[in-house]
Parts: sequence; structure tokens; C-alpha cells
Amino acid sequence: MACEPNRVRLICMLSLTFGFFIVEVVVSRITASLAMLSDSFHMLSDVIALLVALVAVRFAQKTQSTNKNTFGWIRAEVMGALVNAVFLTALCFTIILEAVERFTNPHEIEKPHVVIGVGAAGLLVNLLGLCLFHGHAGGGHGHSHGGGGHSHGNKKNKRGKLCKSERPNGSSGEETNNLVGSHNSPPNGVNTERRRHEIVCNDSEMQMNGSAPYEELDYSHDEASLNMRGVFLHVLGDALGSVIVVVNALIFTFVWRPCPPGETCFNPCIDSHSTDGNSSSFQRTVVGPCWVLYLDPTLCIIMVGILLYTTYPLLKESALILLQTVPKQIDMHRLNERLLLLDGVLAIHELHIWQLAGSRIIATAHIKCHDPTSYMDVAKRIKDFFHDEGIHATTIQPEFVTINSESSASLCELSCRTQCAPKLCCGAADKLGVAVAGPVGSEKILSGEGNALAASAIDVINETPQGAAVLEQAATAVVQVVPQLEPEVVITREVESSL
Amino acid sequence: MLPLSIKDDEYKPAKFNLLAKISGWFRSILSDTTSRNLFFFLCLNLSFAFVELSYGIWSNSLGLISDSFHMFFDCTALLAGLAASVISRWRSNDSFSYGYVRAEVLAGFVNGLFLIFTAFFIFSEGVERALEPPHVNHDRLLPVSVAGLLVNLVGIFVFQHGGHGHSHGGDEGHGHSHSLFNGSTGHGHSHGGHGHESKHGDGHGHSHGDGHSHGDGHGHSHGGHGHSHDDPHCHGETTPGTENKMAVMQWVFLHIVADTLGSVGVIISAILMQKYDLMIADPICSMCISILIGVSVVPLLRESIGILMQRTPPSLDNTLPECYQRVQQLQGVYNLQEPHFWTLCTDVYIGTLKLLIAPDADGKWILSQTHNIFTQAGIRQLYVQIEVAAM
Repeated sequence: MACEPNRVRLICMLSLTFGFFIVEVVVSRITASLAMLSDSFHMLSDVIALLVALVAVRFAQKTQSTNKNTFGWIRAEVMGALVNAVFLTALCFTIILEAVERFTNPHEIEKPHVVIGVGAAGLLVNLLGLCLFHGHAGGGHGHSHGGGGHSHGNKKNKRGKLCKSERPNGSSGEETNNLVGSHNSPPNGVNTERRRHEIVCNDSEMQMNGSAPYEELDYSHDEASLNMRGVFLHVLGDALGSVIVVVNALIFTFVWRPCPPGETCFNPCIDSHSTDGNSSSFQRTVVGPCWVLYLDPTLCIIMVGILLYTTYPLLKESALILLQTVPKQIDMHRLNERLLLLDGVLAIHELHIWQLAGSRIIATAHIKCHDPTSYMDVAKRIKDFFHDEGIHATTIQPEFVTINSESSASLCELSCRTQCAPKLCCGAADKLGVAVAGPVGSEKILSGEGNALAASAIDVINETPQGAAVLEQAATAVVQVVPQLEPEVVITREVESSL
Repeated sequence: MLPLSIKDDEYKPAKFNLLAKISGWFRSILSDTTSRNLFFFLCLNLSFAFVELSYGIWSNSLGLISDSFHMFFDCTALLAGLAASVISRWRSNDSFSYGYVRAEVLAGFVNGLFLIFTAFFIFSEGVERALEPPHVNHDRLLPVSVAGLLVNLVGIFVFQHGGHGHSHGGDEGHGHSHSLFNGSTGHGHSHGGHGHESKHGDGHGHSHGDGHSHGDGHGHSHGGHGHSHDDPHCHGETTPGTENKMAVMQWVFLHIVADTLGSVGVIISAILMQKYDLMIADPICSMCISILIGVSVVPLLRESIGILMQRTPPSLDNTLPECYQRVQQLQGVYNLQEPHFWTLCTDVYIGTLKLLIAPDADGKWILSQTHNIFTQAGIRQLYVQIEVAAM
């Protein structure tokens, strides 16, 4: 399964880090060095971050919908990334505070050799982690993950049309978007990574065969990469920390003039408050240059700056997804305009587009059309339109203007093309159809609600105050929703519905 | 060329007027009781922190300095709550079609994460100090911790009233086991003098030294947080969100109560240390408090995670199957497929579903009935897609 490499790496790194944590704790007990102990707790927080990422990856593989989580667990990736980013930020604050304390109260490093040794080992571990996760943060391999399908991890075999290739954030390094259109001739054979979806998929040439590779090979990467980016940043922070520890200890060993054992020393750096003004020079060795003591906090603050700078984009991106933002590659305004240009679409209300995770985008809307008979075509066109935009999980509620005669809406199956199955939010591959028909006057629903509620025409009885609120809301919504076209039609339909 | 739309926002040039923005924010903050309270409490906390900081610098007490830093850290939590309450009132726009209402859920979640992080650090501090008990300087511990306790009590009092106005009435259980206030909790991380190097936590809560034993109990033991808001205030266009406050306030309250308990814990451990010379009391206190913090944050975290993961609203867990049944009993409906219901923010639910209906069924009627059924359950926004079965 495509995620295996991810999980394997995470588990690898996790066990390495945990082992190192144990080593550090033991060493700190042996050498009675408190600094080592606090560093080991830092390692522990690392372990926790890796654990969070691992849990998120595990969960995000369950893309099938469950009873409680009808969208599946795919959002866990984004959550994992957010948790990691927040932890990193909190860690940065802690480090700043400690650095400030060190500034006001500097002290020497005891047993610098041990520190160098342990620091170097930690650096090795972290560098290994960097190598492990670096490729992944860039989103390198073409294996699809989660979702359905995927049959071959081989990028080259992608066929079919790439209706939309967008990447939430360009994690690069992959050229998996190349569509080798072997037996079709879409105008666009090859898509580059950040190509916006201007490609129109023509239905006429459906080369989707059942085993068509899903082009979310790289998309799934993006989902994974958000989480992996968080892990990578964490490991990077750690590596920087180790570098600082080692550099500091090295400089300390070579530059610092320690107090020779058996002699009383005068330490100008620490005792600056209570300097005895006299006789500071005779028979006392002055301890090493003071600036060495301030090197550690300075380097720490620089490191914090770097970390915050690199963490901020991750934080922002995962937060935006969780806030139900319209994905940034979609321009609502233009989308609205283009939708209105479609034949048969009179108006669009309540259009909401949001990103579940990675490339899974979900849209809902009310579309106003003429009548049910033409609705079937309109619906198909609407679905295709959304397909082109890369939105495959849509729920369209139709609203009709004319009274229709319950014409036998024959079966109109607007089934999603097979390649969209994994893009749907919960892998409900059985019934993807959108087909709609039947006269449905939903703007009437809003106004109808009021009437129906008041009249309790059917077995709907509403006695809670909610109903009243709904009435008001429905009324206002109707005012906003119903366009000025044919108001008289509305009225008649209203009458009809209250019967 | 006549403008085709009456929305002239698009035509207004975007001016960045910082002063106007800030004054706009202030007005927004002061207009709503809860955010007003939050703002004043934040100011109080900040000033206390500054006073502590200056006093610590002047008297060269590292414990006070570190404690004041910890207080600043706490203030960021309050700031997050304030920012969330302001942001969630902004109107929706092209990028945020649902508006910004989810900001409060996110802020609560981030706050919870910070709290867990803090608890973890206090715990590690406690462990370190237990292994190597430092010399704690008692002198300034008591007065400052008492002062910190007073500040936190003010906060509790203020937010007790502003906070959970609607005690839990809810339609159905809101599913959160939130009733922390019976006794115990709140996790105060009161961390008594922490100090490896005789730094000592002033008791106020975050004495944060290398380890921060965070003395403040930040807890919001929020007694029964029921935001039983009846209207989807979340949308902000309706009356000032009472439940909007609820969600944000829970976190703030939790934070403040944790701080208070922390102060109390520090006072207790200080007394123990002074009277009975029980040095071990300090780390044990810290560890207990950190555990308390962790435990009390978990229910709120779970709720936030549920909302952010688009989980079916827990309060609807019982009513939804009934609604499905009722819909399926409507004449002409064959099947109900792919229902998705999720929470936008507290008590605002959104749902989509697909109905398979008979070819000769009355779609209009089915749609209106479906909407009615779900509206009774409290779902405001519903999108129903109709599919006609093949003959």
C-alpha cells in the first residue's frame, strides 16, 4: 500500500528517537547533568510529535465512511500537521524563554566532552531523520495512497484525462502529472505541476477503462505531504538544536579558560553584580572570555527564528483547510460566472466549496433551472463542469421555475466517471450517480416550509421555538434566494405546496 | 457601463488603513459582553505580568522573572480567545464561503494543544525537581502567589457570569462531558517554586523557570458547558453569538481555573515547605496538577477534534436515524443515500444527502418534507439531491 513507506519511516524514526531518549536519560543520571535531562525531555516531545504523525497517517488511511465519520478519517492528515505545527510553535516559545533566562543568568557547561559526544549522536539521528523525510516532504514518489484504486504506482501509466491538476502547495519534485495520452487526443497531454484546470474534459472520448490509473497519485501525496512536512520541520528543528549544542560545546572546550581545580577563581561574567572592586587580579585566575557564555542563547534565538519562519506556512495552510476555506486554486467568482454561462442554469444559490483534505474537494449548491425535462442535461453539464474544476463530490439541489407535469423522468444517470471514485469523499463507489429529475421547487421549500409548518399539512408538527426561528429564517432566505424572475410563478407554487 | 451588481465591495479599492482597522476591531470587541470581559481580563493579566517582570528585574529575582514570562504565555491563550471571538464575526466572502465562524473551534483546539504542552512541561519539570530537589527560596513566594490567586479569582468571577450563561440546556446532550466544576479539577498547574537554581515560582502560576512549573491553574472547569444556543449564532449575522461565546469561553474559563488552582497549589506547597519542610511537596504538587490539566483538557479536545474532523454531530446521534427512517417512509422514496452531516461551529449543522425516488413521485413534496423533517432536528442547511430510479 502506498502509505507503507511513510509508516515505515515514521516507525523507524520513532524507535530511533525513543532509543536515543532513553540513552540520554541514562547518561544524564550517570553524569548528573541536568542539562542533559532537559534535553532528553526535548527528545521526548519529539517522540510525541512523531507519534502524532503516525497516528494521523494510520487514521487517514481509513477513507471509508463510518457511521460517525461519514467523510472517513482523511482529515486526520491535516489535523496531524496542525498539531505538529502548534507543538513546534510552543516549543519555540519555550526555547525563547529559556534563552532569555540564560542571557540574564549565564552559566558554564559542565563536562563539555560528554555533551559533545551526546550532541553528535543526536545530530546523527536527526540527520538520518532528515534524509528519511526530506524526499517525502517534497512528495516524491508516485504511489497513490488511500482512496481507491490505484493499481499501479507507476507514474508513466497514467492515462485518461487529467481534468484538474492542482496542488495545494507545490510540493515538488514530482513529475507524476504527466498524462500519457496514449489513445486519446486531448488538447492537453501533459500537465505540469501547478497547472490550473483550464482543461475541459470532453465526454465524448472516454478512455476511462476500469483500471485507469487515478490521477490522484500525486494528490494523495499532497495529503500525505502536509503531515510529513510537519514531521520534517520537527526533525529539522531538532537537527538545528543538536548542531547548536555541538557547536557550543566545541567552542566552549577550545575557547573557555576554565577554573583550574584547587584554585579560587574570579568569574567576571557571573559575579558581575557583586564584584568586589579590589584585588581582583592577584592570585586569582580570571575565567575565560565571557562572550562564550552568551553564544548559546544567541544561537538558540537564531534557530527559533528559522524554525518559526519555516513553520508558519504549514500552520497557515492546515488552519485554512480546517476553517473550511475555498481551496486557493478555485476562484469562486469566476466559477459562478462560468456556471451561469451554462445552458439552462438560471441562478446559483448557496454555493459552498471546501476542501476535505488534499485533493478531495466538496461542493454543494442550489441550481435553478427551467424544468425537469431539461434538468437532466443541465445536471450533466453541471457535473461535468465541476469535474473540470476538479471537484468530484458535489451535491446539487435543483430548483425549478416552471410547474412541471410529472413527466416520467426517465433514468438519467449522471454517473461520475470512474476516475472520480477515489476523489469522492468517502469512497462510496457504488452509487456515484447524480441523476436528478423530478420537479423540485426548492425555493418553494423555503417558503413552503413556512406554509407547511403553519398548516402542518403533512405529518410534520413543529412545536419547538426552533420552528419559529426557522420560519423567520426561511422567510429571509426566500427573500434573498428567489431571484426576481417570475415572482408570480412562485406565488402559484406556494399555493400548490400548501395543499 | 452600468455596474451589473449591487455589491459594490468589489468595486471599492482595497485600502489598507491600519488605524481604521484597529479601531474597527476595538469597536467589535467592546460591543459584545464576552469579548469585552475577555479584553479587560487580558489587560489585567498583562499588567500584572509587567509588574511582576519589572519587580523581578529590579530585585533580581529570577523566579519572578520567569513567572512573569509564564504569565505572558498565558496571555497568549487569552489573546487567541479574543482573536477568535472577533474573527468569527466577520462576514463571509469569496474565500470563506461559510464565513469565519470556525475560527472559534480552531482557537479552542489550539488552546487545548498549548495547555497539553504546558502540562507536559510542568510534569517534566516536576520530575526533574523530584530527582534533584533544588533549593527553593521562600521569601517572596507567598505574597506573589496570593496576588496571582486574586487576579485569577477575578477572572473566574467575571467569566463565570459571562461564560456559561446557558447552562446546558441543549437539545440533547451535547455530548461533552464537561462538567468539571464539581470539585476537583481545573487543572491548575500550580507549580510551586520551581527552580533548579532556586528560582522560585511565585506561585502565580507559571513560574516558569527552566522548568516551568506553571503555577496557575488554568482550568476552565466549566461547569456544564452546555451551549444551548438555540439559534445558529455561529453565523454571526444573527444576534451576538451567545453560543459563540460559549465555545470560546470554555477554553478561556478552563485556562483561568487552571491558573487559579495552580496558585492554590503553590500556596499549599509553600506552606507545607515552610512549616514542615517537606521539599518533596513541590514536585509532587506540580505533577499532580499537570495530570489534572491534562485530564481536564481531554474532553474539550475531543469535541474540537470531532468538529474539525467533520464528524456527525454527537448531539444528533440519536435523532438522525429517526430522521432517515421518516424520510424513507415518505411516499415515493426508495432509498436515502450518502448522508453527510457535520458541524460548522457550535450548534450549526450542515447536511447533504441523496434521495432515490420513484419515477412518478412528487419531487417537490418529497423535498419539502425532507427539509421539514431535518429542520425539526436542528439542521439549518440541507442539500438534497434527487435521483429518479429507472423504471
